[in-house]
Amino acid sequence: MSEQERRPEDDGRDFADAAWSAPSYVLSGIAIYGGLGWLLDRWLGTSALFPIGVVLGVVLSVYLFYRKYGR
Amino acid sequence: MTLAAKLLAAEEGAYNPLMPHTYELVIGSFAFAVVAFFLIKVLTPRIQKTLQERTEAIEGGILKAEKAQAEAAALQQQYREQLNEARTEAARLREEAREQAAQLKAELREEAQAEARRIIDAAHAQIEADRQQAFSQLRTEIGRLSTDLAGRIVGESLEDEARQRRTIDRFLDELEGSAPAVR
Amino acid sequence: MNALTLLASDPDKFTPPTPQELFELPPIGGIYWLTKPVILAVLTSIIVIVFCWSAFAKPKLVPRGIQNVGEIGYMFVRDQVARPFLGKDADRWMGLLLSMFFMIWVWNLMGVIPFIQFPVASHIAFPAVLAITVYVIKIFLGVKHQGGIGYFKNMMFPPGIPKGMYVLLAPLEFASNMILAPFTHMVRLFANMFAGHMLLAFFSMVGFWFLFEKLTPLGAAVGVLGVVMTIVFTALELLIQFLQAYLFAMLAAMYIGGALHAEH
Repeated sequence: MSEQERRPEDDGRDFADAAWSAPSYVLSGIAIYGGLGWLLDRWLGTSALFPIGVVLGVVLSVYLFYRKYGR
Repeated sequence: MTLAAKLLAAEEGAYNPLMPHTYELVIGSFAFAVVAFFLIKVLTPRIQKTLQERTEAIEGGILKAEKAQAEAAALQQQYREQLNEARTEAARLREEAREQAAQLKAELREEAQAEARRIIDAAHAQIEADRQQAFSQLRTEIGRLSTDLAGRIVGESLEDEARQRRTIDRFLDELEGSAPAVR
Repeated sequence: MNALTLLASDPDKFTPPTPQELFELPPIGGIYWLTKPVILAVLTSIIVIVFCWSAFAKPKLVPRGIQNVGEIGYMFVRDQVARPFLGKDADRWMGLLLSMFFMIWVWNLMGVIPFIQFPVASHIAFPAVLAITVYVIKIFLGVKHQGGIGYFKNMMFPPGIPKGMYVLLAPLEFASNMILAPFTHMVRLFANMFAGHMLLAFFSMVGFWFLFEKLTPLGAAVGVLGVVMTIVFTALELLIQFLQAYLFAMLAAMYIGGALHAEH
């Protein structure tokens, strides 16, 4: 988070950065934690972990996104 | 996993747009490589060089214009200074002339006054001399006239020189005593 | 497949075009790899090279004719794509970004040029080639400039996050940067061109079917609507084609810039 040498175009770059990495963060959140839940479901014979994993993935990706670009 | 495999199997033979054809990958790579080669190795450096030269030319032009402007400003400054100099010089000359004229005028006036005084003095002296001359002439004349007159009135000749002269002198002294009051 | 073939076999009914019909094109002259997209890809390369050659090969200080047009493209890529993401490194990457931008734009334009009418990027292999190229460059530069461990450490452990969260977030960062970023980079262009071609084909087939094949008083209105929609969507498609070329180049610059300098 080095704040030195911030030029006006940095803001535009950060905005574009944030806008275009958002979908891949959310998708990877769903893929990783949804996939983990699905695997656990199959292993344990449950069926609730896959949707929980999906929601967790979305939440985590939004959290990560917020910490990186939200301020 | 078997679900996905089953799905794939069911779609076997059907069109799957997410599966690239190998020959398209090969030809696409080739097509891109050729374009990238020309643009990276040949064309981009050329246009970048030209753009750089253009920037420099524009900057050079600006520099030249700035120099010309500075020169013009310096010249203007110089002219202004010269003009100021000329103005002060003219003012100085005018002042000098005025001073000289004043001095000349004063000198002339003094001279004229002196001349006038001299003339007046000469006139005074002349008048005094004339008066003195007239007075002495008048004195002898009056003396003679008085004796004549007196002789005739009295009827006796005043032969006695001493008496005659005494009488005249007394008379004249009386006259002179009143003279300063006249002057 | 079977439902569709049944519908298609009925000659009196309008059948919407299937992806298979639109995108799986027969080889020409019996050579299995010589298909329409392949020919168009080669044609695009020739067009781009010829255009850039005539614009940039002998550049004049005072631009004239085609050099003017080329410079507009160059300035656009430099000021809107390269400089915002690469800063002082912009000039070194202009060649690659220009190639990608021009190539994708011409690929896409093939979709609306009459009688050609096939967007090359709607075959995923072509966007894949460019996305993989950017991906390889990205990893190479990241390892070169930040070190083999440093690159992945910077990527997976961004600063400003509580220590405990890294356990959950590090795999997410890895998947996002290493798998989904290049995938979305490729798919965004592919899907836009794929869907755009489908829509255009659908509306023009509606127009053609109801106005020429089976002209009925009621169907004519539908046919006219189809023609109008074709025109509207062609205009929209022109915009999207440019936008996708711009976005692809922009994301490429973004990934390269991110690899050159660690996230701040």
